[in-house]
Formats: sequence, C-alpha cells, structure tokens
Amino acid sequence: MNSEVSELVRAESIAAPHSRRLRETRSPAWTLLYIVLFLVIVIQSGVVVNARPQDLLTGASGMADILARSFPPDFSQFWPQLWPAFETVDIAIFGTVVGVVIAFPLAILAARNTTPARFLYHGARALIAVCRSVPDLVWALLFVTAVGLGPFPGALAISVHSVGMLGRLLAEVIEDMDMGPIEALGTTGARRMQIFSHAVVPTVLPSLLGISLYRLDENIRSSLILGFVGAGGIGFQLLSAMNLFQYRTVSLLLIMMFVLVIGAERLSAALRKRIA
Amino acid sequence: MSEALIEADSLFMRYPTGRLALEGASLAVRPGEFAVVLGANGSGKSTLLRIVAGIIKPTEGIARIAGQEITRLTGRALADARMTVGMVFQHANLVKRRSVLANVLCGTLGRHRNFATALGVLPRQEIPHGMHCLANVGLQEFAAQRASTLSGGQAQRAAIARALAQRPRALLADEPVASLDPEATNQVMRLLRHVAANEGMAVLCVLHQPDLARRYADRIIGLRRGVVRFAASPEEITDQEIGTLYEDTARYEEAGR
Repeated sequence: MNSEVSELVRAESIAAPHSRRLRETRSPAWTLLYIVLFLVIVIQSGVVVNARPQDLLTGASGMADILARSFPPDFSQFWPQLWPAFETVDIAIFGTVVGVVIAFPLAILAARNTTPARFLYHGARALIAVCRSVPDLVWALLFVTAVGLGPFPGALAISVHSVGMLGRLLAEVIEDMDMGPIEALGTTGARRMQIFSHAVVPTVLPSLLGISLYRLDENIRSSLILGFVGAGGIGFQLLSAMNLFQYRTVSLLLIMMFVLVIGAERLSAALRKRIA
Repeated sequence: MSEALIEADSLFMRYPTGRLALEGASLAVRPGEFAVVLGANGSGKSTLLRIVAGIIKPTEGIARIAGQEITRLTGRALADARMTVGMVFQHANLVKRRSVLANVLCGTLGRHRNFATALGVLPRQEIPHGMHCLANVGLQEFAAQRASTLSGGQAQRAAIARALAQRPRALLADEPVASLDPEATNQVMRLLRHVAANEGMAVLCVLHQPDLARRYADRIIGLRRGVVRFAASPEEITDQEIGTLYEDTARYEEAGR
C-alpha cells in the first residue's frame, strides 16, 4: 500500500506542470479552503483600517455642510489662482524635460544590447531603480528641506522620479529594438556614435516621444499633489484654502485641477496618436 | 588571372561551445566573379562569411579583402577595412522609419566621420551617389519613401544599394533571398550577378538553394563539415556532387555537439 501511495505522489508531481485539468478534478475541500482564506484576508483588512460604516452615516451631515459651504465656487478667485495653476503645469514640463534628458543616456547604459560595459549597466540600473522606488512625494519632502519652499523643489522631485520611470521604460524599448540595422551599419564601417545616431535614435524616437508625453500627463497629476508638502503650485493653494476654511476657493481649485488633468490627458493622447 | 579580392586561407573556427564549424576552409573570389557557397545547415557557410566580413575572428587562418588581412585588424583599422566589403543579410535590416535614400546614404558614413554625421546628419554631398546606387537597383522613384513602405524584395534591393553606396570592392551576401518570394528572389539574384559583372566586384553569396546557384553563379563552392569539397563552374559540377553536401549531415551535427 505504501508503494501505491508513493506511486500516486509521483504521478501527481509529473502531472503538475499541466495543472489546468487537475484543477477541475480538485476536491471541493480545497476550493472551500481558498474561499475561507480569501475572506480572512478581506476581513482582517477591514479590522486594520477601522472600517465603521456607521461613521459614514453620522458623517453625512458634516459632508453636506462642507458641500453647502463650498457652493457656489468663488470665481472671483480665478485670476489670482491662475498663476499657481500655471506654476503646476510648468513644474510638470520642467520635470519631464529634465527627466527625459537624463533618462535617455541612462537608458542606453541600462539596456543590455547598447551598454558599453557591464559595470555601467548595473550602475545605471541601480540608479534608475533608486529614482523610481522613492515616491515623488518623498523626493519633494527631501528637496523642500534642501532648497526651501516653492516650485523648484517640486520640479526637482518630478525630475528625479521621472528619471526612474522613464529610464526603465526606455531601456525596455531599446532592448526590444530590431538589432538588424545596427549590425548592418556596423559592417559598413560606421563608427559607434554614427550607428547610434543613425540607427538607434531613429528607431526608438517615436517610442521615446510617446512615453515622454505620457509621463508629462502623469507629472501634471503629481505636481498637483506636491504642493501639499510645500512644493508650490495649485496644490499648495488648495492646502492653504482648506486650512483657512475657504471652501468656496477649494471648490474652485478642484474645478481648475479637474480641467487641468483632463486637458493634459486629452492633449497627451492626441499628440501620441499623431506620432504613432 | 587577376588577383583575388576575397581570400580565405585554411580557416579554422571552434566556437566556445566546442563546436568545430570550419576545418581548414580556403577559397578565393576574383573581381567580377559571382561565387555561391552551398552547404547543409551547420556546414560552416555562415561562419565563413562572417569571418570574411570581419564580424568574428577565426580560431586559426587568414582572410583577406583586397589584400588586407581583415582577420588581424581591430578597432578603427577594422572599421576602415570593412568599408571595402559590403554585406547583405537575410533580412534587409533597413531603418524602417527613415527614407529609402537616407538608408542608402548610411552606407557612406564610414568615409564621412565628422561631428555632424556623428550627430545624425547625413552627408549631403553623397546624395547624387546615393541616387546612382538606387538607380542601379531600380528603386530611384522610391528614394523619398519611408523604408517601411517597401516590399520584401524592394527592401532587399535597397539594402544592396546601401552596400553599393559604401563603394566596396567586394560584396558578401548571407542567404539574401531566404525570406523572399520566387519573383523577388530572381530579381535579387540577377542584381547580384549584375553587380559582379558590371562593377567588377567580387561577390560571395551563401545560399541553400542549389538550383539558384546553378542558374546564377559563375562558380559554386561546396562546403561540407567545415571543408571546401569543390569549387568549380556550374557546368563542371554534377547534381550528385551537390547532393553529397547534404548527406549524413544529421549525424555530423550530433557528433559536433
């Protein structure tokens, strides 16, 4: 009987790679276990976040009060708030441009097929990973401490985070590139830099532009938030208005943010379509 | 008999995996001659071509292009030597987003090494030469089109024009018709023969279709197990001789691994 069991175990371990059929014949006890496990995970998350639905009900009147007090939006504030809005967009533009300028050469070092040396590859990968893994809000906190309040730390934070996001995507684009033209130019006697500018750049340029425009869109969203930690722009105005209980200014600012985000998204999508 | 433009002298090639691809292969191609290398998979024909092009170094032996030992050169000297030998691959390998003419002009980059061309500017003074090369392959009316709009056969002809724009003395082709339809295949083969005959170039082409070799080549070079078994004009070679190239290759491949 023992040998029979081991025979079964062996048969199962052989069949494991094609487990699709096995799953259908799996005993219901396992299915039940998975469902229970899932419920346990969901319930513990509710406990940990102190989810109390009754709070929503008792808070409803407070919510209604705030909504009433923020209506109608204070449009007289439109012109004074236009400059911070402009600042928000410019933080994103600056951050994206600086990000692309730094990320592109880094991506070339961080792509296996174009990197000139092993240690540069690993160095570039590590640098990109650090820039990416620290959220832009944290970068903004660090830069506010370093260079003081204002839009500049925000722009720096967006730049650094963009280097991380763009660097990885661009390195992937370069690694997926068709190497045929590069080999072909190599056999014509062209130099390394010529091969790069005449074969690599034209091949990856559309992807580079597309990814950068997408990043600009994302960065406008980010720069709205960065004001919360003192890094300038419309986010800073929103925070101040909240703290001063100027809810009609808050609602105006929310409308302006909405227009900015949707506008950036549409513009970026339209431009990307033209490139493709 | 004039001096050979492409020469390989007892080439040996052992890959890091231990596979012995060439075991003393020698050949010579004269100006104006269209030579075709035939051989089964694993016979070493692509290895031979890549050594002659200076892409890889042989374990032993010498390859010369127009008298220059390409197997000994490195760096800038190798890049200079490569200018004298044009190469065409199985795929056209064009930069698809650039115009056909821009792709052809890329062939001249080797002789225009300056700041502007390093930054992606094409040498304007080469435009007439580029157009001449395009006319040679019958594509002058496609000059301004994007390379991505060309058919497979047209793209391969544009790739030949790019190789010609280099002003090479020898042309190497690695299975240039392997992914083309029969009509495009015949156009490309005619073009390669034309280049050899009219431009006085030595053309060395690797093929796996014996019938094409018979129809177009001035000389057929039979490669088997890394050794040249015969090299003669198509009339002097029997079908049986060509057939021997493809015998017991499976067994050989196994032994080689």
